[in-house]
Amino acid sequence: MSLGMILLVVLTLLILFGVLQRVLDRMALTDRQALFLVALIFVGGWLPDLRLGMVSLNIGGALVPFGVCVYLFFHAGTGKERIRCLIASVLAAAVIYVVSLFFPADPVTMPFDPMILYGLCGGIIAWLMGRSRRSAFIAGVLGVILADAATGVVNWSRGINQMLYLGGAGALDAVVLSGVTAVMLCELAGEIAERIARGRTNGSTLQGGQRA
Amino acid sequence: MKEKLSRFALSLMLALALYAAFLPTASADDLTESLHVAVDGTGAYLFSISGEISEGDEYISADNILYRIATVQNGNAIAEKIGEEAMPDVSWLEVGEAQPVFASEIAVPAANTKSDDSRKLIAMYVTHSDESYVPSDGTQSVNGQGGIYDVARDFRDALQQQGIDVILDESTHLPHDSGAYRRSRQTAERLLQKGPDAIIDIHRDGIPDQNEYACSIDGENASRVRLLVGRANQNSTVNREFAKQIKAVADKQYPGLVKDIFIGKGTYNQDLAPHAILLEFGTHTISKERVLNSTEMMAKVVSNTLYGPQTGSAISEKSAKGTSDTQKSAAKDDKGVSGGVIFLIVAVVAGVLIFALAQTGGGKAMGEKIGRNISEMTSGLFGRKPKDGNG
Repeated sequence: MSLGMILLVVLTLLILFGVLQRVLDRMALTDRQALFLVALIFVGGWLPDLRLGMVSLNIGGALVPFGVCVYLFFHAGTGKERIRCLIASVLAAAVIYVVSLFFPADPVTMPFDPMILYGLCGGIIAWLMGRSRRSAFIAGVLGVILADAATGVVNWSRGINQMLYLGGAGALDAVVLSGVTAVMLCELAGEIAERIARGRTNGSTLQGGQRA
Repeated sequence: MKEKLSRFALSLMLALALYAAFLPTASADDLTESLHVAVDGTGAYLFSISGEISEGDEYISADNILYRIATVQNGNAIAEKIGEEAMPDVSWLEVGEAQPVFASEIAVPAANTKSDDSRKLIAMYVTHSDESYVPSDGTQSVNGQGGIYDVARDFRDALQQQGIDVILDESTHLPHDSGAYRRSRQTAERLLQKGPDAIIDIHRDGIPDQNEYACSIDGENASRVRLLVGRANQNSTVNREFAKQIKAVADKQYPGLVKDIFIGKGTYNQDLAPHAILLEFGTHTISKERVLNSTEMMAKVVSNTLYGPQTGSAISEKSAKGTSDTQKSAAKDDKGVSGGVIFLIVAVVAGVLIFALAQTGGGKAMGEKIGRNISEMTSGLFGRKPKDGNG
C-alpha cells in the first residue's frame, strides 16, 4: 500500500472517528460531505482524464480537489482571508517549484518524500499567513497545480513537447496529498499553538486565538 | 508589519521562482560530483553509485553477499558485511520445466487479479527521460527523449519476442529534478490500470568508470544491469524478493549480466506495485550498442522470472522442489503485504491519538472523546456512550 493510500485511509478513519470534526467545521464541511469528497477523489482518479490540448486533467486527482478549493474560497470568512488564500497559494507554488529544482533529484539523496514536502510547504505558509485550515487546503492543492503548470510552461518554452498532467496519479497524486497534508499540519500546529496560548492565559478569555 | 513581511516574502519567492525557471534544466551534468563509493570494513572497494549513500542502505553484491551501510563520511560509506544472502532456488531452470515463479501463484495484486491467466503483460516507462550514453549519443543528457528510450524500445521488442505483451509508455518526465519521480508516478499509475504482471522503470547509471558495467557474455560485448529497490515503501519486502528472483535467474542463465542489487532510501514509485523494479542499463560512459546487446538477455531473464521457461510443458508437472520454492516466495510476499497492513493500523492509531491529544490536551478528556466517537461509529456496541445521550 502506497504512502498516499495510507494517508487517505488514515484521513477517512480520522473523519469516521470524529477526530477531524473541528477541522471540518472550520472548512464548512460535514462528516458526510467530507467522506463523499474522499470517495469522489478515489472514483474520479480511475475515470479517463479530460484532455485540453497539451493539458490532461485527472478528475479525482485535480478537478475534485480544485472544486473543493473553489467551494472553500467562497466560504472563506472575509475578503482579507480570500486574499491571504491566494497569496498563500502563489507562495506555496513558488516554494514547491523552487524546491523541485533544488531538492536532490535522486530518491536516494532525498531526505524524505517530496510529496509530503509539498504539503508541508502549503501548510506552513497557510498557517503563517493566517492560521486558516481553509487556506492550508487551498494552498496545498493550488500550490502543486500552479507549480506543475509552471513546469509545463517552462518545458514548452524550451521546445519540449511534453504533456502536462495535472493530478495524473488520481487519489495518490501530490495534489491531493499536499492538500490533505497541509490541512492536517495546520490543524495539528494550530491546536498545539492554541493550547499553549490557552495555557498561558491561565483560563482567561482567549482573544483571536482560533481561526478558521 | 505583517503585511509588509508577507509582501517581502512573496516578492522574494516569485523572484526565486523566475530565476529558477531560467536556470539550465537540472540534469545529470554533475554526475561526477554525485559519485559516492562504498567500502567494506577492511577498506576494500565494494561499489560506486551516482547519488548519496545513507546509513541503513543495503547492497547485494554480484556474488550474493549482503552488506549494510554502517557509517557514511563525506558521502562515502563503510559497509558492514552481513553474510551470504539466501537467493531463490532456480534449479527448475535447468530441467526446463514451466515454472510460473510469480505470475499465477503468488497472492499479490499485480499477478493474480487477471481473469485471463494466459495473458502476459509487462509495463515500462522512463522516469529520467534525458538520460543518454556519451559515446553513442554525444551527451549524457538531452532535452527530450534521450538514448535511454532506444534501450527501452529494444528491451520492449525483445520481451515481445518472448511472447509477452509490453506497454512502453514513452512519455517524458522532464526536467530531471526532484519532481521527475512524481511526474513518472502519474505514468506508472496509468500503466497499472492495465493490470501488468510487472512494471519496470528503465534507467542508466551515472558512474564514470565504464568498466563497472562493461562485460562479455557468451562472447558478446555487453553491459551489466543493476537492480534498484527502494526501501522506504510498504512493498519493499516483495520488491526485494522480486529483484532477488531476477538476479538468481540471471546468475543461472547469463552469469555476470546482473551487476548487483542496491536497496536504497526512497520509493522509486515501487510503493505502487509489488512487482515494480528499476533497471540501470549500463552507465553514461558506455556505448549504447553494448547496452543494446544486453536487452535480449535481460528480456529472457525477466520472462523466465515472471512466467518460467517457455517449454510448453504443463504447469502441473513442475517439480516438488520448485513448488516449495514458489510457496516460500509466496509466504515472503504475504509477509510483506501483512507488514503493510500492520503499518496502516499503527498509522491510524497514531493519527487518532495525536489529533485527539492535540485537541483535548490528553488525559481523561482524550479517552472520553475517543470512546464517544467509537460508540457513535458502532451504534454503542463499542466505546463509551455519552452520559447526556447527545454525543
